[in-house]
Amino acid sequence: MTQPTSHSKRSQQINLTRMRKSFSVKPLALGVAAIFLAACGEEKQDATIYTNADECSTANPGMEEQCQTAFANAVAEAERTGPKYDSVNACESDFGTNQCHYVRSDSGSFFMPFMAGYMLSNLMSPRGYYSQPMFTSYSPYSPYRYRWVGTDGYDFGDNRQRNVRVNQDAFKPKPTVSKTMSRGGFGSSVRAKSSWGKSTSKSGWGS
Amino acid sequence: MLRIDIQERPNWQKKARDYGFSFHTMHGQAYWDESAYYQFTLQQIERDLESPTEEIHQMCLAVVEEVVNDEALLAKFQIPPLFWQSVADSWRNKDPSLYSRLDFAYSGQGPAKLYENNADTPTSLYESGFWQWLWLEDQVKAGKLSRQADQFNSLQEKLIRQFRKLADHYQIDAMHFACCTDTQEDRGTVQYLQDCAAEAALANEFVFIEDIGLGDTGHFTDLNDGVIATLFKLYPWEFMQREEFAPAILHAGVNWVEPMWKSVLSNKALLPMLWQLFPNHPNLLPAYFEDQLHLCTQSKLIKKPIFSREGANVSLIENGKVLSHGDGPYGEEGFIYQAYCPLPQFGQNHTLIGSWLVNDSAAGISVREDLSAITQDLSRYLPHIIL
Repeated sequence: MTQPTSHSKRSQQINLTRMRKSFSVKPLALGVAAIFLAACGEEKQDATIYTNADECSTANPGMEEQCQTAFANAVAEAERTGPKYDSVNACESDFGTNQCHYVRSDSGSFFMPFMAGYMLSNLMSPRGYYSQPMFTSYSPYSPYRYRWVGTDGYDFGDNRQRNVRVNQDAFKPKPTVSKTMSRGGFGSSVRAKSSWGKSTSKSGWGS
Repeated sequence: MLRIDIQERPNWQKKARDYGFSFHTMHGQAYWDESAYYQFTLQQIERDLESPTEEIHQMCLAVVEEVVNDEALLAKFQIPPLFWQSVADSWRNKDPSLYSRLDFAYSGQGPAKLYENNADTPTSLYESGFWQWLWLEDQVKAGKLSRQADQFNSLQEKLIRQFRKLADHYQIDAMHFACCTDTQEDRGTVQYLQDCAAEAALANEFVFIEDIGLGDTGHFTDLNDGVIATLFKLYPWEFMQREEFAPAILHAGVNWVEPMWKSVLSNKALLPMLWQLFPNHPNLLPAYFEDQLHLCTQSKLIKKPIFSREGANVSLIENGKVLSHGDGPYGEEGFIYQAYCPLPQFGQNHTLIGSWLVNDSAAGISVREDLSAITQDLSRYLPHIIL
């Protein structure tokens, strides 16, 4: 009668600790997460932030062409993935007076902060270099004031500092960040259907 | 198949709190009911539920293949023409499915009969995959159930595995999850799926359906303006395809879970199509489109809206006369007719079996009962064992 466990019809193992939601076990969960993150983030590498191609060329003699190309790529990437605003005021309130410009592109026209620099890594490597655009803010209202910031809002530190140690992930291409034009375009059917009906209905919509 | 009374676990409400099972009681009525359980034999599970579930799923896929290649059928299934191409594309690209639930009338004897396929937005997943599993572990430990007692429930294991597959298929390491505001049960279901995704090393973000934004680049966005690249949505395709953002779906480049071809299956038009392609299959009830009623030989029929939640707008018809009629907001897209097959009764209770699929493999069952003959959304959930 006894069935070998390998023929069991149910899940062999469920990690109960990870299924718990109550507050009492949170510290354990955090501990696990911290170890996990540390293990993942091992591959740090050195990178340097330059404010323009000349600065890069001066620091890396003989690499003028790479410095130029990387700069041009970063400018294009900044335009594609950088923060975008409807009005110059909204942009300046985040990045500071005279820090924004008008951009017209395939996806529309908006105000964007100027690219403040670009982060380069592995410039000498035959396998190719990595680069990412950097912004900085001069606005007293911004948490990014005098910091290096990536297009996804990642803070790379004080903008007087040029050498940073970063994860490989920092160079992954960022999604084309959207300025959200409108919300609430989904969900109208459920409002219409559940406003009707019995008060005992769960009003969820799964089945 | 037996219904057997059992002592409740003394601490289960506290346990429910610890594990975040917040909807065990809804509107003052018990939803989770562990005062009894259903007992199946291994043969009942394997021969009568597990195999037919996988077979019906394959039959359903054959229906998808028919429908996506035929504009007349796409129209009959009430899929808006704007989405005909994307439904067909998602099918031809083999966009992977996560899960489905088939509902059966089954008494323990004879073939289980398919009521419907909840292929797009099934709930009662957490209580099936996790909570009834835990109940069995506890009751065996407490000596209330035999050590030999098993359960047809590999849901959690298979969900985690399928999330891994989704990650590989779409080359992703993170995804978004969404459901509507103001429903604890749907939020609980989605949280459970997020937990399973996390076990599969997929990072996950949650956004309410109503909060989804449309970005200037045509992508959908979360509340942080993050681009939604992959989205599990506990929100039906038939609604999304008719709402304000519907046209944006075509260019948003989202990997959808469930994929859009599921809109062919989460649709009551599936039932007459199955009967047409697989007539007299032992697990099917005869079913007809409105224009096929002359073929019908049954005197008692259930009339169901093409789109609806359980129980709503369902009528019982005998010899052309409406005997009973459920109210509801559905039906504008038309109706189908299915031979009347009452749920089996265990004492006072009418019992419905939900049979789960993860992708295309059968993954467990859930048992729900109701004092009324038509299952309502407040039917109680009871655990089960195999012995």
